[in-house]
Amino acid sequence: MTALTLVIKSCYRDSVALLMLARTLRATAGVSEVAALMATDANKALMAQSDLLTSDAAAAGPNDLVVVIRATSAGEAERAVGQAADLLSAARRPAEAGGRPLPRTLESARRHLRGANLALISVPGAFAAAETLKALRGGLHVMLFSDNVPIDDEVALKRLAARKGLLLMGPDCGTAYLGGVPLGFANAVPRGRVGIVAASGTGLQQVAILLAARGEGISHALGVGGRDMSAAVGGLMTLPALRALAADRATELIVVVGKPPDRAVRESVIGTLRELGTPAVLAMLGRGVEPGQDGAITTVTTLEDAATAAIAMLRGKRWSPEATIAMTTEARIEETRKTLTARQRAIRGLYAGGTLAHEAALILESLLGDVSSNLKPGVERRHHIVDLGADEFTVGRAHPMLDPGARIDAIARAAKDPEVAVLLLDVVLGYGVAADPAGDIVPALEAARAEAAAHGRGLAVVTTVVGTRDDPQGLAGQIARLEAAGAWVLPSNAEAVRVAARLATG
Amino acid sequence: MTTPSVHVLRASVGVVERLRTAPREAGRVHSVFERALNIDWHDGRLLTLQSPGPLLAPFAATLARLPRSCAIVPGLPMWRRGDVLTLDGVVLDPRGTAAIDPTMPEARTSPGSVFAVLPTAPSVAKGLASEIGCRARSRLADGVSRRDPGAFIQGALGLIGLGEGLTPAGDDCLVGALAALRRFTPSWLDAHPEIRTTVEQTAAVATTTVAHEFVAHALAGRFAESVVDLLTADSADEIRCAATRLLGSGATSGADTLCGVELALAALRNRTS
Repeated sequence: MTALTLVIKSCYRDSVALLMLARTLRATAGVSEVAALMATDANKALMAQSDLLTSDAAAAGPNDLVVVIRATSAGEAERAVGQAADLLSAARRPAEAGGRPLPRTLESARRHLRGANLALISVPGAFAAAETLKALRGGLHVMLFSDNVPIDDEVALKRLAARKGLLLMGPDCGTAYLGGVPLGFANAVPRGRVGIVAASGTGLQQVAILLAARGEGISHALGVGGRDMSAAVGGLMTLPALRALAADRATELIVVVGKPPDRAVRESVIGTLRELGTPAVLAMLGRGVEPGQDGAITTVTTLEDAATAAIAMLRGKRWSPEATIAMTTEARIEETRKTLTARQRAIRGLYAGGTLAHEAALILESLLGDVSSNLKPGVERRHHIVDLGADEFTVGRAHPMLDPGARIDAIARAAKDPEVAVLLLDVVLGYGVAADPAGDIVPALEAARAEAAAHGRGLAVVTTVVGTRDDPQGLAGQIARLEAAGAWVLPSNAEAVRVAARLATG
Repeated sequence: MTTPSVHVLRASVGVVERLRTAPREAGRVHSVFERALNIDWHDGRLLTLQSPGPLLAPFAATLARLPRSCAIVPGLPMWRRGDVLTLDGVVLDPRGTAAIDPTMPEARTSPGSVFAVLPTAPSVAKGLASEIGCRARSRLADGVSRRDPGAFIQGALGLIGLGEGLTPAGDDCLVGALAALRRFTPSWLDAHPEIRTTVEQTAAVATTTVAHEFVAHALAGRFAESVVDLLTADSADEIRCAATRLLGSGATSGADTLCGVELALAALRNRTS
């Protein structure tokens, strides 16, 4: 083993940047451990404990950044130190594209791209309102990716947008499609005749990929932010979004995705849809929602049903909700159950997509009774669903669609629990997410199944892949990687949840 | 052709005065971040210029627009020209700046009501979770709950400079604990001036320049707006909202600060019970 040190005098990087640097270097061939810290006395003591305090690190001062790399050979350590230096200097250089510096303000971006009519804003929440105000005042539609925007600011900004005839998608709008252009976390889906208004990013993605799998495409998909249909915001963007889609010649049917809205907002949405006359599917995922049809408006209770109902309506067919399990699936359920012990009755849902986690909790609740999740406060129950994209998991680290660390930890913890029968997961593909989401978690899944086997237990891994064959990661390859690790991949989240419920309870 | 000026919108009381009384060579750029510039001010302390929003530090000023240029690098001087300041040709106009008091006011209530609704800090930073970090946090909590300044100082010195980041997690945690103490038991801190003296002297040499600045201000009772907002919030909803805003500040600084607030509130609760 060799340890090499890179010391950069008076170098300042934030903790997330240093954690990402350390993570990248740890994945480098031959590297066994990395420390990337300011060289304070306390941090030197930490490095000494890990046997990483080299003489160079010991000589550095508290305003110096030290990167210490332990590797199996001197050559590998030197290569990793070179990589660290490159990564740190790349972070210092101003961003460039095509040899030109990228704009760093909204004003300079407009000068670079005259005629632009949309700003995608992704800055920390405390600054998002000010940037959005600038964009709206400048006559730009806005996709506001940032979260943690105070609700009073959201209302004021949306009122301004409405007065100016502009769309403000968000805050916390993760996915949209405008004129065939995917924005944010989005799958490669064909253009088509379904318009979507969504208060949920992964909900929108699930519907879009299920439509694509059945040969239908998206005209436009407008995210409105998770709170838009609340009483406080009053559907300030949902209603203009519905009108915009109804006025679009390519849109033949509208799907509305979200959680159950405030009662008055729901009435406004339904009233507006009736007035517009465009056929619509309402997928408002919540307790007490009854599926059914009222004129040209069909209400569904799952994202899968939203897609199948939309297709039936477009093709002039009758639709009724189906939650059946195929015979072949039944057979596999029985086979898998034989590998579980009598004590294994619990489901752990470990989700990257918030709406998919919410949908899983709702379906499981309807099938199995009490289900807990981090989406609602309360005591943890036998069946527990975790949205790993929630704030408590993403402070100081990237979203789980980019950084699998939190999910890998959670998989390892669940594997140690002798009552857990099923790990229920989503794997989200598309633009903006990790390059190999399945590959990122496969080693953890293999280790989890091995851990269970070492204790004489089986462990079922049930997952759905939210992706299309045109996504940059490749749908078939991602499914193959998961299946090779023993995971059972189902075509929709709803179906995965139903199978998980059967596996856990028989 | 005239150079457009950028207004200094808000600043802490001390920063307003420092901007007003700066000499010709007011300071030099210390470090450059996406949303903030730290300036080595002529008085030997730091001063932060940031984008619009809550004051990120008790030594910060918000500008209507943060100057952006490849030429703004560490070492670049900032000049005074009459009533205004210039940085890389951009005129910064501090006239009419709103002064914000970053001092933590003393509470009239017990810490229990805040502690009861405070959301749990997310997973503890690696440095704070280390053996050294756990020991230091435990000593700090002991010091608060047993009213033992010696134990508190030992814990504080163990946290200074510990862990990840430009402001190491340990310093953020200490600042959070000092904020809670300044809010709910300022007389204890004031009765033990050795806490301020020893901790400040150590921070001056044992942590980064930026972290030292935060710790020094915290020892004097001054904090970032999000920290003051959290501890002075009136209702459970306001506390949760303020905690969310605090968690969004810095890369992990908000979470580490919240960890310190929780630690001190829990220790104070033990003391009162």
